[in-house]
Amino acid sequence: MLVTKYVITSSESNILPSDIAMKIYGSKYEVLVKETCFGVVINGEEEVINALIKEIRALDPAGIFIKDRGFPPGDPRRCRGRRGGGARPGFYMIESESKMLPMISRALASKGDIPAIPEKKKPLPIKRLEEIVKNGLS
Amino acid sequence: MAKVIVYPPTSMILSDLVERMGHKALVVPEAVRKLVTANEIDSPPLNVTPEEPKKGLRYAAVDVPSGVRGRMALIGPIIEEAEAAIIVEDPGWLTGCAGCSRTNELVRLLIRTKGVPVLDLSYPTNDAEARVFVQKIRAFLEDLL
Amino acid sequence: MIRIAQLSCGSEYSGIQKEIERAAETVGAKIVYPEVSLEDILNVESTFGVSVSSGDLNLAIARAVRIVQNPDLADAVIVMTCFRCAEAAIIRSEIRKYIHEHSKIPVLSYSFTERTKAETLLTRIEALVTTVKYRGLLAREKQKGLTAGIDSGSTTTKSVVMRDNEVIGTGWVPTTEVLKSADEALEAALKTAGVQKEEVSAIGVTGYGRFLVGKHINARLIQEEITVNSKGAVFLADAQKGPATVIDIGGMDNKAISVQDGIPGGFTMGGICAGASGRFLELTARRLGIDITELGKLALKGDFRNVAMNSYCIVFGTQSLVNSLSLGCKPEDVAMAACHSVAEQVYEQQLQEVDVKEPVIMVGGTSLIEGLPKAMEELLQVKVTVPKYAQYIGAVGAALLVSGLLED
Repeated sequence: MLVTKYVITSSESNILPSDIAMKIYGSKYEVLVKETCFGVVINGEEEVINALIKEIRALDPAGIFIKDRGFPPGDPRRCRGRRGGGARPGFYMIESESKMLPMISRALASKGDIPAIPEKKKPLPIKRLEEIVKNGLS
Repeated sequence: MAKVIVYPPTSMILSDLVERMGHKALVVPEAVRKLVTANEIDSPPLNVTPEEPKKGLRYAAVDVPSGVRGRMALIGPIIEEAEAAIIVEDPGWLTGCAGCSRTNELVRLLIRTKGVPVLDLSYPTNDAEARVFVQKIRAFLEDLL
Repeated sequence: MIRIAQLSCGSEYSGIQKEIERAAETVGAKIVYPEVSLEDILNVESTFGVSVSSGDLNLAIARAVRIVQNPDLADAVIVMTCFRCAEAAIIRSEIRKYIHEHSKIPVLSYSFTERTKAETLLTRIEALVTTVKYRGLLAREKQKGLTAGIDSGSTTTKSVVMRDNEVIGTGWVPTTEVLKSADEALEAALKTAGVQKEEVSAIGVTGYGRFLVGKHINARLIQEEITVNSKGAVFLADAQKGPATVIDIGGMDNKAISVQDGIPGGFTMGGICAGASGRFLELTARRLGIDITELGKLALKGDFRNVAMNSYCIVFGTQSLVNSLSLGCKPEDVAMAACHSVAEQVYEQQLQEVDVKEPVIMVGGTSLIEGLPKAMEELLQVKVTVPKYAQYIGAVGAALLVSGLLED
């Protein structure tokens, strides 16, 4: 079965979408490649794509992320040029998550102990609030 | 290898982490792929036809909006397949297949009442939280092996 | 090419996106989506006034804000969300108001189900496109020369002949065969006007049989009834300048149109429930053993509060009326209860979606059933005007508009 995947690079990765595209062009794999601003879209037989993904990830194990995509690359049904402009709704989710990728990359690459996270702030105990109010009004 | 449903069901980060840690991520784009690559249907953009909201009746009654039932026709079967789940708290910017809050509520409910192991998380906001986020997912997935 | 911006939630997942696009294509329009950024979506609480939990609704809001900021992006707007979604119903209505108040772009609001078809959307989108395409024609205030109009409705076919801004002949027949009825109605109008068909310079056609009839009689203008009726209404009620609200309760569907300077701004068109149609009143008249023309006068003497109605439905509501009669209720109270029931349903389901501004003009055959405009007056708490020739509204509008084409 033909499948399509996004290959998305963290903005802090040294690997550029064009590097990934070049790697695929120079490889033995018969896949369709389309470069975008945030990564590349690849389309091919499922086994081929899975094997290729392993090699792509090896370029920067913590900085490259893969996402499934329903539509083949450049599908006119989803292409903004043919569908009256405007990004497809799902694009904004990719954009939101892409902003988090540097953080996730650093977390994936990090070793050693996990830092303790300070507890989230809790509301002031009512007794303490009462005291503040009384003091403030007196 | 376990089949892990992620929420939001279109999350790149979650599906990537699940797959890179050796499991199968169950995601909506797979369901979309089945529709858009089916030759006999022609109902752009998603090839969702009025049949999908009817299929969605399996998950929600007829007085539930058609958009919810149509989405459930895509997401419902994935929930049925799931052996584990990772749920991230709604960050307030879910769009597209995850763009309907009523559907999302039903999806979370059906996942939680299914009785499979569930990991609850929030999207990280800093490096320390990101490390805990990744570590928790890693530990959860290792336990599934 | 007219660009219609689609601001929606759920259409792609309800399987009706193709139907929306098909309806737009049929009237020579294209659906477009204004470009917005992620920040635009995240900022709708400050730019629009609220952010809701469904992201696709926030996206629709962001697109609305963008259109208001840059009206060149679209010629018209449709706001569409799933029927029965409360979150979406609130936002759909607020987006419609926002665009209406902050821009001059005509806007249509509609809630769909998976059963919504292009045909259902067609008249609405055609009206939307007409208000963009023929603004000049719609601004016409006077009928000139000798023209005729035909309104091929689902229940009755109406025709008028007009000369120099006056109605000089009318024809009215029940719709049996669409073409035959149109011929008969026109013939009757020509006869009362005392003119020959050959003398008439042009004919305009509206109503649900407009395409068939238009082709048959070689009409110069074939136009949906929303723009035509609103034009006819403000012409007959002498309200061509400023705001007006037109209510037309028909045999098959109802229209509520908010008009500004003779041009429809926002409108709703309902057409699922027979209980909100003239049919309900016909049935009541039959049950009361009177002619439909007597029902209105009888209703004026009655009080709807004396009759307990538990449903708007043409089956169950009518049953309530019959039960009340058997319990000793007066026929006049039953007649008014029927009028009130129809008016209330239109008020609840349609008038909430348009800006009701005075004068409120009721047109169509049902407006002659006096109890109905009275019931509407009570609900709206404003005076309701029923102009002369109200039952010929579509035909008058068509005759008026087609005379404008002759000069061009």
